[in-house]
Formats: sequence, C-alpha cells, structure tokens
Amino acid sequence: MLSALEGSQAVARAVGLCRPGVVAAYPITPQTHIVENISKLVADGQLQCELVSVESEFSAASVALGAAAAGTRAYTASSSQGILLMGEVLYNISGLRVPMVLTCANRALGAPLNIWNDQQDSMAVRDAGWIQLYCADNQEAVDTTIQAFRIAEHTEVPVMVCVDGFVLTHTLEPIDLPTQEQVDRFLPPYRFDRALDSRNPLSLGTCVDPLFFTESRHSQHKALLRSMQEIVAADSDYAGIIGRSCGGVLSVVGPAEAEIAILAMGSVCSTLQEGMQIFSQERVVKLIKLRAYRPFPFLALREVLQGVRELVVLERAVAPGSGGIVGMEVRSLATTMNSPPRIHNYAVGLGGRDVPIEIYPRLIEAVTCATEPVWFEIFDVEVERLPIEDR
Amino acid sequence: MLVLTRGSYALPGTSIDFKTGTWRTSRPLHQHWAAPCHSACPAGEDPQAYIGKVQENHSREAWESIVHINPIPSITGRICPHPCEQACNRGSFDQPLAIHSIERFLGDEARQRGWEYPIDLGRGAGATVAVIGAGPAGLSAAYHLRRRGYQVTLLDALPEAGGLMRSAIPINRLPRDVLDADIARILALGIEFRGRTRLGVDVHLDELRSDYRALFLAPGTAKAKAWSVDGAVPTDHRTALELLQEWVAVGSLPAPQSVIVHGGGNTAVDLCRAMRRAGVKEVHLVTASGLPGPDTEPDDIINIVPRELEQAIEEGITLHPHRTIQRLLFRGSRVVGVEMVTLRKLPTKSGQTGRIAFEGTETLLHADMVIPAIGESVDPTGLGTLLGGREYLWPGNPFGRLEHAPGLFVGGDARGDRGTVSAAVGDGRLAAAAIDGYIRQGDDPEVMSRAVITFDRINISYFEPAQRVEEPTLSVAERTDTAEIDRPLSSAAITHEANRCFSCGSCLACDNCWTFCPDNAVVKTVALAKDGSHYVFDYEYCKGCGICAAECPCGYIVMEAEL
Repeated sequence: MLSALEGSQAVARAVGLCRPGVVAAYPITPQTHIVENISKLVADGQLQCELVSVESEFSAASVALGAAAAGTRAYTASSSQGILLMGEVLYNISGLRVPMVLTCANRALGAPLNIWNDQQDSMAVRDAGWIQLYCADNQEAVDTTIQAFRIAEHTEVPVMVCVDGFVLTHTLEPIDLPTQEQVDRFLPPYRFDRALDSRNPLSLGTCVDPLFFTESRHSQHKALLRSMQEIVAADSDYAGIIGRSCGGVLSVVGPAEAEIAILAMGSVCSTLQEGMQIFSQERVVKLIKLRAYRPFPFLALREVLQGVRELVVLERAVAPGSGGIVGMEVRSLATTMNSPPRIHNYAVGLGGRDVPIEIYPRLIEAVTCATEPVWFEIFDVEVERLPIEDR
Repeated sequence: MLVLTRGSYALPGTSIDFKTGTWRTSRPLHQHWAAPCHSACPAGEDPQAYIGKVQENHSREAWESIVHINPIPSITGRICPHPCEQACNRGSFDQPLAIHSIERFLGDEARQRGWEYPIDLGRGAGATVAVIGAGPAGLSAAYHLRRRGYQVTLLDALPEAGGLMRSAIPINRLPRDVLDADIARILALGIEFRGRTRLGVDVHLDELRSDYRALFLAPGTAKAKAWSVDGAVPTDHRTALELLQEWVAVGSLPAPQSVIVHGGGNTAVDLCRAMRRAGVKEVHLVTASGLPGPDTEPDDIINIVPRELEQAIEEGITLHPHRTIQRLLFRGSRVVGVEMVTLRKLPTKSGQTGRIAFEGTETLLHADMVIPAIGESVDPTGLGTLLGGREYLWPGNPFGRLEHAPGLFVGGDARGDRGTVSAAVGDGRLAAAAIDGYIRQGDDPEVMSRAVITFDRINISYFEPAQRVEEPTLSVAERTDTAEIDRPLSSAAITHEANRCFSCGSCLACDNCWTFCPDNAVVKTVALAKDGSHYVFDYEYCKGCGICAAECPCGYIVMEAEL
C-alpha cells in the first residue's frame, strides 16, 4: 500500500522493519530526521531496539561496530563531516569484516561550509572497504536499506546506503513499505559466526604484522568483488518476496542498442529519466543507473557499454587536481574494450546546485556537438561569477 | 601453517601478554614531598599529616601525630605566628588553611578528653639528663628525653615551669589554665621539676656536668639589651619585657597620657595593647619593619601574627611602619617626644641590604614615655666561659650541640637565632634526639630533608574554593586583660577547615591514578604500597603516558626520565 512519506521517515521505517538490536547515531543535517524517526519508533514502542545517543560520529560508528561484533544487528547514519569523523572506524568495521548498515544522507563537504546535496562525502570513503549502493529515489532507498542488511550479513562486508540529502531525505514520495512479515521472510534473524561471547573469548582488532596484513587485504578485496553476486541475488530474492527490484548492481533505462549513454548515480538518475520522457527523442539515448559503486561492476558495465559511441559520465563530486572520480574508473574499464566509447566526464549539482530536467537535452547537445571527448568539466559552473584569474 | 581468521580475529589474547618493553621514555614515581606547612614549621610539625587524620575523623590519631613532635599544641596553636599558614599552598588558590585553629582544637580536645601522651619509655632507661630552663625549649627537651626513657631533672629559677610563656605572654592570648594543664601533663610523665633553682646561684654548671650524663641549656634571654638614642636614655627607662612581665605577674602598668613603643615584635605589640587597655590614650608603635602589603618586601614585614596586628589596630594602636627614632626630645630631664625618620631596607654599597634613613623625612611625635622593645640577650650568670663575651650561645648546628663542651646542648632563645615558642619546641626535640645519640654514642639524628612541593604541582581542578574559618573574637569592648580574645571553633568548623587541605605532596587515596591509567598499570594495594600511598606502579605495563601524574591532585606522582 502506498503512503506519502518523507524520505527520512521511509528509511527509518525500513530500518525498523529490519529489527535492528542497536542503533547509534549523532545528529547532522540532512541525516538527522532518519535517526529522529527511529528514536520515535523506539519511544512509541513500535521497535524493540537499544538506541544509543553518543557524543560524536566516531562514537556512533564505534558503538555500532561493538554491537554488531557482539552479535546484534546494528545500524547508524550520518552525512558529510560526520562520515569523515567516522573514517577510522569505517575502515575498522570493514577490515574486521563486521556486517552492519549505514545510511549516508549525501551532503557536500566543507569548506566552504554547505549543508546541501552532492556525493563528495561517500566518495571520500569509497576505499574504506564498504559496499556502496546509490539510490535513485526513496522507494529504492527503502528497498536498498532492507536488502543492505542481508547483503552485509551474507558477505560480512558492511554496506553504506547512499541517499541524496534533501533531494531524497526531505522529499515526500508515495512509498510502498513492505510488511513486517515480508521483511522477516527476506531477512532472517542476524547470526554472526564470530560474535563475541564471554564464554568463548576472541580478540578482535588485534595487531596484524607484515606476515599477514597482505593476505588480510587480499581477502577483503576478494570479498568485495564476490559481494557483487550477493547484491544481485538479494535484489532478485527481494523481488521474489516483495515484488520489486532495484536493478542489482546497475540497470539500463532506454533502448539497449542506443549509441549515446549517460551513466549516473543517485537521484540525478530520476531527473534524467524524467527528462528522457519529456524531451523529444531525436537521438536514441540510454541511461545507465549505476547502483553499486563499490564493488565496481566492471563486467556488467562493460556489457552495457558495448556499442555505445558517446558516453556521458555524470559526477556529483570532484577529485580536485584530477577531475572525475567515477569517470576515471569508467575510463580505465574502457581501455579493456575493443571499441570503447568516447567518454565525456561532467560533474553537476555540487553543494546542492539544482539539477533541472533541462540538464538532459543540454548534455545530449553538448556531447553530440563535441569534436573531442571532454576529459572533465563541471557542467553547470558559471565561471563569469569568478574573478578572471580564478576561472 | 597458520590460517588467518576472517577479519583477523585472534585467539583470546590477553593484554597481559603485551608488556611495555623498552620504549617507555619516562616513568611515574611516588614522591613524598614535604608539604610547605611542614617545611615551614619551626617545631617540625607535619600539619598535612595530622590534618589528613582529622579529615578521616581520627582526632586522637591526629593529636598523637602532633605530640610525637610537639607536646604543647594547644599552646602553639594559640601563640605561634604560624609560618605554616604563610607557606600554605592553598594561599595561592583562595586563602591558606587555618592550621593554627586545627592545632589548637586538637590540643584542647586532648586536654579535655584526657588523652594520654603516647609514650614508650624504652631504650634510654636509667641515664640522667638535666634540663636548665623550663620554658618551651626546656619542656620540649624534657618531654622528648623522657619519651626515650631518660631520667630528666628540669630546673628553673622561677617557682613554676613555663618560662616566657608564663611570665610575658598576655593571659588573654594564652589562658593560664591551658598553660598549667599542659605543663602538668608533661611533668606527670615522670619529669622531676625543681623550681627556684637559679644557675650560678643554687646550682653550678660543673656540678651538673658531673652529676648528669648530659645537659640541655635553655636559659632564655633574661638580660635587656642596652638602649639609648645617641647616648640619651629617658630617666624613667624601662624595657618593654620588664613592663610586660610586671603586668602579667602583678597586673600593674604605668599609665601616662601617651606612650611610644619602639620595636617590631610580639613583646612590643603585647605591651602596646596592655597599655591601651590600662587607659593610655595614645599608644604609638614605631617600627623599622613594614606592614604586610604590596609596598613591603616579604623579609621586611613586621614579625607579628597578622591577626594580632589587626586586633592591635582595632584597639586603637597607632602604627608607624618604616620609621625609627632618630632623637629623643627632652624638657629638662623628662622625655617629651621623639624625632622620627623614615627608613627602608635598601641595597648598600657593600651589596647587602641595610636600613637606610631618608634625610628630610624627620617628624616630631610628642609622648610622655618612650619604651624600647628591641630584644634581650643571655644572662651570663652561671654560664662561665660558655658565652665567650657574646650575647648568645650560637651553637652553629641544628641540634644545639656546643662543640667545645661535650655533653652540653643549648636551645631556645639563648641560641641567638630563634624567637618563637615553636622554634624553641623544635630545638628541644632535636636536642633530645642528639643527646640520645650522644649518650648512646650514635650518630646525629636525621633532619627532615624532603623537597618542598610548590603550588604549581597541585592539580587545582580537583579542589573547589572554600572559605577559611576564622576563630570568633571578642569585640574590642568585650576585651579584658584575662578573658581569651580568640574563642574556640566547633568540631564541625574544624572538619570543614581540614577538608580544605590540598594534601600537598602526600597521597590522598583518591583513586585518580588507578582510575585514569589506560594500561591498568596502577595497582591498588595497601599491603604492597609501602611508601605511604595505596598504590604501586606495574612498570611491566606502564607506558609512561603521565596521565597519573597529571591527574594526581596532590603532586604525589612525578615523572622520571628513563632515557
């Protein structure tokens, strides 16, 4: 049954349906509503869960880590600087192979201080060893959150569900929340083999010397790569029980044979999809919605790029001094193709700059007129607002 | 081959396996510092130690800790200028502890409750020692010798023991029932007191030296120093001490319209106050020293208990600090006043400091009587060649041993470098220990040599400001020659005051080191902690972070470099 829910409310309800044992978080815009709503569920007796108020994101992640290591399903959420403050713990969680779920309500990183949406925060921790799944709308946010627990628990790799701040978290959408019974079928109770048990003690977080560190990293890398199958399997099982899927690691909108493609992650996909419907189709275009950024789905992506001649890679973050982040990985993938597309790498919508529907025809026009592939540009920058020497 | 656990979990490791090894660069140590009050006490008391016992409501143990050192705390608690309080680190935080009030309280409790001196008449059994002079030095020496098991004979020229405490200290500062009771309690330990026995008249040094194994000389200073102003002396010349003794003994004082007392000690102030109460309208105190304040160097402050100075001012005494008498003014042979001049302690050409008069600052002050209070020297009667023409005996060591006269020890005012009852008590104690060493042919006893802890080592985050208690005093109108001016404090007030103590340099057993140590390297064990604390450091695990030292409220933990 559809109900009009704010994105944060929807995510909170989805988390509640997963029956977490411990939720620990520290407020930061635009994540705050999520945890507020969870705390309301707990306060109203609708969720049996230990809600731990902490003094920082570092502690929030640490509490969740401890809880998950002790054998309970754990969840936290944050944004922006909060994600950075968690940084050390994020690496610990993944390195210790402790499964848990975190919602990143994507927000720009300061300075300059900015509370609005882009994806610089999750990009900053892309190599923390977490699975990163990006949501195009709030229904996907709900479904991905529920799937994330199963993916994490099956792979023993933590999952970060990336939901664009404000654009999704603070926007009402008609949402179809699965029932508790459905979620219980999909997501069995949490069981962690290495759960800490005082009767059978184990040490976690011990020092690993050069003799084993390499093997430890290798195993973690392989686990991330293998999680690709689990992401797809979870999505497909979810569809079997709940009747809806999110596209596995990636999905394509538009004709498969299109020679022009746009690759994007997160809510901008929904904008582009709408643009594709509104603006007349002079050219055949397909939209590649990249859902899993970590693990990076090389094989799946290479398959959908076959026959594409012009590819736009849209970024919601910048690697200053280099350019695009996703674009760079797509380019490296393209080197393995016999006839790779021309790749045009653009960033849009930084720090909450509006990404209007008109972005779609403007992008198509830009790539079809381009004589050379665009290595990297911020598409919506207005350089005339800068002093000449800074343009 | 070892197979790695997913996530690099390990078998239960125990942190006990992870020892510090060699990379620590400094380690914590317990350092039992001398508290400033302890270091400053001329009697050798350790107020920090007994105040700690008061905090735990162990009053009797606290008193026993004092009388291990000083047998007359109810007297010194009243009349000592308490340098302990000037030294108190709490003075740098809010106000110093009222140590004298606690000392007095404990002494009074002991007397009122009949606590017996903790005495073990042990090892010196049989040997005889004579003590000449039953003032504070003589009483203290007799007490400490008796505690060591010696047969002590205490001689004094006056019929009753007490020395200056009886003859010159005003009754309203030291009630005689307190004095009598404390002296009686000391003598009751088995000390033979022979009054009316004057050295050189009734007994002689040579006889005493042959009759006793050792002698302690504490004759005090009974001879007034010669005083004149450029050779001029008033016709009615009397010294302040004479007048004060006469007033204490008989209750009478001359009562001119106005008087100038010249001097800067307690004798001078006591006499000023007595004369004011006897009806003298104008009482002037002319002193070369300064009053406490920013204008006066610490070593130039008038040597009077601040509280007594305040009371003197309340009672209408006019003070003339940094002034001296340059000339006496006469009408015929009668003094009618003085010419005063300002002087200050300044560096002189020789590099030392000296008092220099400022020309042009002369003023006249009229008065009917001028009384010097500039001190006394040792009466040479009966001392033979011991003085050697000097004013004092100057033993030159803390034990009072006279190097050229084996078996003779000296203490109290007669040394020449003392001046308070507390210092005399300290002399008696050290001399008793040295006499014990002499008779048993041992070494000199050890003198307390611990370093003194400074305020910056106290972690004041652990202390809250708290008002110092003050003894209630009689108002000026209520004051008489006999009623004690400073009234006693309640037991609750004393506990409050004791709880203000920083416990400088001594373990409070607060558990901070034990709580904060990130490596559990502080072990709480009274059994193993032999250094007065409740903890030991486990250096196998201590990383030398120094948190314990930083968080110790008392400065009891110091970091020692290990490189």
